[in-house]
Amino acid sequence: MDILSNVALGFATALTATNLFYCFIGVSLGMVVGVIPGIGTLATMSMLFPLTFILDPTTALIMLAGIWYGTGYGGRTASILLNIPGTVANAVTCLDGYPMTKQGRGGVALFMTTVASFVGGSIGIVLLMLFAPVIASYALNFSSAEYFSLMALGLVAASTISEGSAVKGLAMVVLGIMFGMVGTDVYTGTTRFSFGRLELYDSISLVALAMGIFGVSEVIASVRKVDVGDIRATSVKLSAMKPTRDDVRRSWMPMLRGSSIGAFFGTLPGTGPSVASFLSYAMEKRVAREPQRFGKGAIEGIMAPESADNSAEMTSFIPTLSLGIPGSATMALMLGVLMIHGVAPGPSLMTDQPELFWGLIMSFWIGNVILVILNVPLIGVWIRLLTIPYHLLYPAVLMFICIGTYSISSSPFDIWIVVFFGFLGYLMRIFDWPAAPVLLGFVLGPMMEEHFRRAMLLSRGDFATFVNRPISATVIAITVAVLAWGIYSSMKERRTAGLDATDGE
Amino acid sequence: MYSRDYRDIVGGALLTLSGLAFAFYAIARYDLGALRRMGPGMFPVGLGFVLALLGALLLIGALRRRGPRSEIRIWTPFFVLAGVAGFALMIRPFGLIPAIVVLTIVSSLAELKFRPASTLILTVALCLVAWLTFKVGLGLPMQMFRWPF
Repeated sequence: MDILSNVALGFATALTATNLFYCFIGVSLGMVVGVIPGIGTLATMSMLFPLTFILDPTTALIMLAGIWYGTGYGGRTASILLNIPGTVANAVTCLDGYPMTKQGRGGVALFMTTVASFVGGSIGIVLLMLFAPVIASYALNFSSAEYFSLMALGLVAASTISEGSAVKGLAMVVLGIMFGMVGTDVYTGTTRFSFGRLELYDSISLVALAMGIFGVSEVIASVRKVDVGDIRATSVKLSAMKPTRDDVRRSWMPMLRGSSIGAFFGTLPGTGPSVASFLSYAMEKRVAREPQRFGKGAIEGIMAPESADNSAEMTSFIPTLSLGIPGSATMALMLGVLMIHGVAPGPSLMTDQPELFWGLIMSFWIGNVILVILNVPLIGVWIRLLTIPYHLLYPAVLMFICIGTYSISSSPFDIWIVVFFGFLGYLMRIFDWPAAPVLLGFVLGPMMEEHFRRAMLLSRGDFATFVNRPISATVIAITVAVLAWGIYSSMKERRTAGLDATDGE
Repeated sequence: MYSRDYRDIVGGALLTLSGLAFAFYAIARYDLGALRRMGPGMFPVGLGFVLALLGALLLIGALRRRGPRSEIRIWTPFFVLAGVAGFALMIRPFGLIPAIVVLTIVSSLAELKFRPASTLILTVALCLVAWLTFKVGLGLPMQMFRWPF
């Protein structure tokens, strides 16, 4: 009953002309960006970030979220047709998707994964609708000690699980929190680390930081590295998209299993779509009767990861929207949009701003439908997009980065910040330091300090407050376990494999 | 491959030094306060020491293993960053269009190939795109041209 009126409210919000329009813009852009290697989701989202200042927060979130799940649809197009993963989460789709293309079944693969994405996305949305309000109402009783513990868990998990070295990930989180310290201290009004620059009294601009560390450094890394894909458009015949009855029969269970794995890992901080899609592929291979078919164009091998990917993309909104604690850098950007618009993220979001919350969730349905409609007929266009040479593309990307940053406060200083973080981002690539934890730490850092200091104030300087409260103690215990496991496994990995090669996103 | 993991040795050392610098800067400049009522300096000092510790862990671990040879490119990052910096220098005194021209031409050099024709076409196209999206489309208050003298 209650949920029905919320759904109605959500659709009423999501279906206004403005919101529909920006939802469309978001998902189409996401799809385009997903197809083209060398432009990441985070870079695009940060490029469009300034545009969100002129929109109201609901519309802004609808658009940015559209980019986020739109890349999931676009990313596997490149994986299936060209054996190039458009995004990290789609890398595993190459394993069976590309062989299918070589067998002339690329059309079937694209069509079936569209279905998988839609089913995975839908399951994710349903879970989001059911669980986010429950968690939020529970979280209303949380105090600063719980919040601090939860944020610590989020940061530790995000930095140790998904990337290669746990120590490097943690170091980058700390570095990010340090950048978050720049500006005016909330309790005393002291300006910290501003080095006398008036522009830094407020804080480092989130957009400038994200643009530098993801946008500019990605351009630097891709120039002279990304080549035009070698594509024969004839390899995909649109007429050959109809799956056989055997394909459909084989796809049901992998799709459902993939969706559940995705839904679970999406909610956990640090894991998200990439981990979910890899794990679901591994699981399909394990449960399959003939595992030797995998890697040679088994349809199960594309259905499971794609549904897991999309389902995780949806459920990763659960902690972000219900607790105000983002589990990934992308979600941190979403939270940044909210905060810039003066909307306080946290459990009261759902009661204070029901039209924002439900409007956003309902826009996911609409966005997913738009993606299904757009994706299939436009395959030819996506393929042609891949033929734009990168040397024409990257100056355009840089231009959008510069104008976007400048437009926020008409300050050339912010562009110098982009240069600084672009350089830092390049250094980080040389040292193989992951970039996503920096952004996560930057967004969460100030909140974490605030809650830490408040918790310590309330407990009169006693650290035991974090372990005396049952919820906080549980979360701290999980954090310690994750930390120990992360360090242990990264040491083991080093001993066996010698080296790890991962790239951040 | 190097006989030692120099990438992590140098990286770890950098992190340790930055962490210590951050912590001591905070100690010198800001009030630490007490645990029950923390000043603005306490949290940063803690962060600085944690980063220094993590850097040291990275460094120590790297001493005993072989490491990969990182590819370090100098001119590509230089031209990309110089293009962005050029934009920052031009936008205030000269306006948007000259800033885009400088950005496009300088950053195109990052390819380490000079293609005058394609760069020229690209520059004109980007100026047009910028004018249409940001001035005509979004109506951002940005001046296209300016003359400071």
